[in-house]
Amino acid sequence: MPNFLVLLVGELKRMVEYKIAAASVVVALIWIGILYLTEIPDITFIFPLLIFVDATSMAILMVGVTIFFEKQEGSLRAILVSPISKTDYLLSKVVVTVTSSVLTLIVLYIYALLFKDINLSLIGLLSAVILVAFFHAQIGFILSYYSRDFTSLLVNMMKYLFIFFMPTLLVYTGIINHELFDKAVYLAPTTAAMTLLNASTGNVESGDLIYALAYLGIGSVILFVFVLRLFDSFAAREGGV
Amino acid sequence: MFEVRNLSYKYPRNREMTIRGMNFDIRQGEIFGLLGPSGVGKSTTQKIMVKLLTDFEGSIYYRNRDLKIYDKDYYQEVGVGFEVPVHFSKLTAEENINFFKKLYKNQADTDTLMKRLGIFEDRKKKVSEFSKGMKIRLNFVRAMLNNPVMLFLDEPTIGLDPANARILKNLIKEYREGGGTVLLSTHLMNDVDELCDRVAFMANGKIVETDTPQSLKRKYGESSVEITYVKGDNLQKKSFEMETLSKNNEFFELVRNEKIVSMHSKETTLDDIFIKVTGVESYA
Ligand SMILES: Nc1ncnc2c1ncn2[C@@H]1O[C@H](COP(=O)(O)OP(=O)(O)O)[C@@H](O)[C@H]1O
Ligand SMILES: [Mg+2]
Repeated sequence: MPNFLVLLVGELKRMVEYKIAAASVVVALIWIGILYLTEIPDITFIFPLLIFVDATSMAILMVGVTIFFEKQEGSLRAILVSPISKTDYLLSKVVVTVTSSVLTLIVLYIYALLFKDINLSLIGLLSAVILVAFFHAQIGFILSYYSRDFTSLLVNMMKYLFIFFMPTLLVYTGIINHELFDKAVYLAPTTAAMTLLNASTGNVESGDLIYALAYLGIGSVILFVFVLRLFDSFAAREGGV
Repeated sequence: MFEVRNLSYKYPRNREMTIRGMNFDIRQGEIFGLLGPSGVGKSTTQKIMVKLLTDFEGSIYYRNRDLKIYDKDYYQEVGVGFEVPVHFSKLTAEENINFFKKLYKNQADTDTLMKRLGIFEDRKKKVSEFSKGMKIRLNFVRAMLNNPVMLFLDEPTIGLDPANARILKNLIKEYREGGGTVLLSTHLMNDVDELCDRVAFMANGKIVETDTPQSLKRKYGESSVEITYVKGDNLQKKSFEMETLSKNNEFFELVRNEKIVSMHSKETTLDDIFIKVTGVESYA
């Protein structure tokens, strides 16, 4: 078995044993609970929003949790002296994280189909989730590199979501309606993510869609290169403790 | 196997150098001991040599090639035994070993190793349920799972009871008999005395002495005879140098005239040499 697959299988197994998989099921149940409590029968508008929250924050958290377990237990050091390339190591975490987001989406979609009215493209949503989760897994690595412990990772994630997500949300919901502000939020990755997910409803102009795709696509590649570069100093810091 | 020249290292957050110009060679097939008091930089040296710390000064050659040239394939042939446990605590011992083992081209018979070390029966237990000593033994299995040609062991017997320390030391010796090379760092003299072909004493981030344990004892050793005898109502002790004993009249007088209680010959231990060379009391 190639080492990437060994890492991937190991990562999946630990997701189960460390109850991370269980935690993401609980989160999915919470989303289902919210859908259940929603009075309006047509949830096409709120659905991308839930998926957005899940794909961004869960991607950051899952990457962060696994790294912090490895740091805490010292298993990271065993990994660092094994014949594993850093690309394989990082990508195995990304694949598991993205898969988890995709599974959550599918479960929520099935629930929505059965019990609610929903009218959006699943394929569009799936592609959007993959890209959004991939991008935010990279954010998860960067935040993990620079967070002392899991609590500080949580705080940093809150900061990220507050700075980028709040403005996006305020504009998306129309609470803030100001030309300058509307333009400024385009700088935020969360706006691109929201646009992309929302495109599955068919309510996004193609210019915006292309911009969002380019932002997250190119952004993901740049971030991944960045994450690979930064890994060496992270490894030296953590391996040398 | 290794040529280390003018090795120096400073941790990024420290102001002082931890390693200050180390020079040593490790020959193929030997157990090379790195000995020194706690905090002298033994683990740091190991971490540099297993490429966990990379921004060192000086040069390290492994099999005649610069260590910096080696990529991750370096780990295909070396084994690293850490001082502290490095396992996934929520996986079983067996799952831990199998996960890492699959990453290597060369795979050891880990079941036999676990049996020898007495953790085979507990292989299906989660590592979090393991005692400290069991985790340390599992560390050794992990270090050996690729049949390495070069083995790094950092304080391998710390935290083990004497019986298990014995087993581990036998395994290390067998590994050498099979052609393996070992860098072993420790502050325990017993381990060095028993295992090491050559030993380097570290003090102040440098190597201050390198030799075989035997010739170190010869070099620094002074053997003497200590006599306890009755003088009036008290016991008295007196020491005589072994070398000059045959010409020592005081010694003969004493033996002839006094009531001797005991007579002991005393040889310098590596412990004494350790204190002499490093200027630090070890706590062996
Ligand atoms: N990660 C680290 N950051 C800063 N200083 C460190 C770190 N690890 C060890 N040191 C310092 O380097 C010195 C040598 O430590 P170490 O190599 O662990 O010694 P030994 O293994 O001989 O007991 C000590 O003074 C220790 O405080
Ligand atoms: Mg040490």
